[in-house]
Amino acid sequence: MSLTRRQFGAISAATFMAGMPRASAQNAPIKIGAVNPYSGGMAQYGDEVTRGFELAVDWVNAQGGVIGRSVEIVRGNATSAQEGIAAVEQLVGRDKVDILVGTYVTAISNAASESALNYNKLYWETNALARDLTDRGLPNYARSGPSSNEFAKRSVEGALELVAAKLGKAPKDLKIWMEHEDSAYGTSIVKEQERLFKEAGLTTGIGSHSARAIDVTDSILRAKNANPDLWMSTAYVTDTNLLLRAARDQGFKPPAIMLLGVGDTVETLEALGKDFLEGILLVSYPRPDVNPKFGPGAADYLKAYRAKYSRDPIAPQSMNAFVGIKILYEAIKIAGSIEYEKVIKAAASLDKPLGTYEAGYGAKFDAKMQNSRALPVVAQWQGGAVKAVYPKEAAAEGVSIVNLPRS
Amino acid sequence: MAEFVNVLAVGLLLGGIYSLISVGLNLIFGVIRIVNFAQGEFVMLGMYGAFAAKMALGLDPYLAVGIVVPSLFVLGAVIYRMILMPLQGEAMMQVFATFGLLMVLQNVILALTRGTTYSVNSALSTMSVTVGPVQIGLVRLIVLVAATAVTIALGWYLKTSLQGKAIRAVAQDRKAALLMGIDVERTYMISFGIGTALAGLAGCLLSPLYSMSPQIGINFIMPAFAVVVLGGLGSVGGAYAGGFIVGMTEAIAGFYLDPALKHAVLFMVFIVALLVRPAGLFGHAGAQEVGLREQS
Repeated sequence: MSLTRRQFGAISAATFMAGMPRASAQNAPIKIGAVNPYSGGMAQYGDEVTRGFELAVDWVNAQGGVIGRSVEIVRGNATSAQEGIAAVEQLVGRDKVDILVGTYVTAISNAASESALNYNKLYWETNALARDLTDRGLPNYARSGPSSNEFAKRSVEGALELVAAKLGKAPKDLKIWMEHEDSAYGTSIVKEQERLFKEAGLTTGIGSHSARAIDVTDSILRAKNANPDLWMSTAYVTDTNLLLRAARDQGFKPPAIMLLGVGDTVETLEALGKDFLEGILLVSYPRPDVNPKFGPGAADYLKAYRAKYSRDPIAPQSMNAFVGIKILYEAIKIAGSIEYEKVIKAAASLDKPLGTYEAGYGAKFDAKMQNSRALPVVAQWQGGAVKAVYPKEAAAEGVSIVNLPRS
Repeated sequence: MAEFVNVLAVGLLLGGIYSLISVGLNLIFGVIRIVNFAQGEFVMLGMYGAFAAKMALGLDPYLAVGIVVPSLFVLGAVIYRMILMPLQGEAMMQVFATFGLLMVLQNVILALTRGTTYSVNSALSTMSVTVGPVQIGLVRLIVLVAATAVTIALGWYLKTSLQGKAIRAVAQDRKAALLMGIDVERTYMISFGIGTALAGLAGCLLSPLYSMSPQIGINFIMPAFAVVVLGGLGSVGGAYAGGFIVGMTEAIAGFYLDPALKHAVLFMVFIVALLVRPAGLFGHAGAQEVGLREQS
């Protein structure tokens, strides 16, 4: 078969044109849609989590991107589950994002990830806590950060190993009271804590309250009556502050106090003051002050954060988000693709030991795609600052436990 | 016994908080016949006002009362004049307007603070008084004393001052008051201003107790409605007494039953009280008929 010059030209042009978009898509930036609340009452932490994403983007772009492509973040505002679905539709439909990441709020993650599946997009979760999210077994979903179960686990370890030793008691002799706010968040964590304590042979007292309660003195009086060695609380910021104020007013002074998830920010410091907080334990995401051997590069992360935002991190959620995206890059590299099936498969093959990333995390996903090597730390208020104290390797040089039992 | 006395003290102090919040709400209802959903937001504004006064002028929240209360009186009067007065005669629309106001105020503060929780401490925040087996935070005691003083002062003002008598006259019969030469609209405006100012006072006095968020007003308003209904719609003394009924119910149910169940118990008491005495313990028969009195 012979071609005329005109036919040859037409075919060549068509081939070139057909190849053009393909080549361009291969070199175009990978667009990551960051689903978080950026307005309303949860905006502060939505912004903070996304700062971690943005720093991870800067980090990878400075190294030439991932699989030869630079990375971009596009924000999708979602303050509720319904808005989470709409945000995904907008990010995929209008902004043409390739991957979705999130989220500070479990309910939003739940709805947005299902919506992402409708578009065959990966939903890479870094910060939402509820264990149920991974238990759903959604094929496009993985969580790089700790779940509520890891928070419960770390708190129980902290109680049995750290608190018992400091109080000079055998772990099984510890008297523990667990206070929690009565929504799914507080209830699920306490349920897991109760199971773990039971395994260790301990019976605990449990109290609950509404996060919207005007007064929680009754909860404090019930705990005070039980005379615990350790009072643990899982709640939100405002009710945590209210509980601590009621404890102060009622002269409730347990030898050890441990707060889960909150109580580690300036919001609690301003409310209670550094003297009252001295020695209070916190189960929290690892912070940039961790020992460099435990979390290599954490100091560099802090430097990058300060350089970009001209302030210190508001909360440790941002470093957890930063590390989460770095783990995502690893999975994309192995997959050589951004298709969710390939990325999930690649993530499942990751086997990075603890201490690989800034937060001290490793990467080893379980069958439900929960990273089993992402663990919170036990920190402590010391002189108005929060310092990691447990596990021992996480504590920075020169940091030791103070004021335990509390004076 | 000591335990029971302690629980009663907790209920009494909580009752003081509820009374302080509810007295302005009940005044507005009693005079203007508006169920003001935005009252909790006025308390919230009072708290943020105390915070702003601390930040800008270094004022203790108790001293901020001097700025916040008059400011909220003016705000209340302006809101009445600009929003509620044009809806006079549309009782349901006025209620919806106060709900709209709730959303506006909450979202404006949300936009300004981006949801950050703030706290404002007083020099008295950490002080407490011990009476026998009971330890009482001084800030809570001040709220209780203030609630009592406000109730007495408001009752005295309504009984003895000319403007107070005008308010009572308008509350009793708007048309007759109008015929007697009372400026009814002005009286409404002043009443709404006083109700708002009292919410501002509550906000200032409560600010050392709570970490403030834009949504905190909602937490106050639901029990406050129970207080005014139990105590008696439109009765200043009823709001005071209702506060203690609610406070005691919550404290006893919370301690002896379960803190998670205290609101369920409270609203069961509320429903029973409504069935037995629809006008509340100190209210007048018919006061519960919101908006049925002619407004035009």
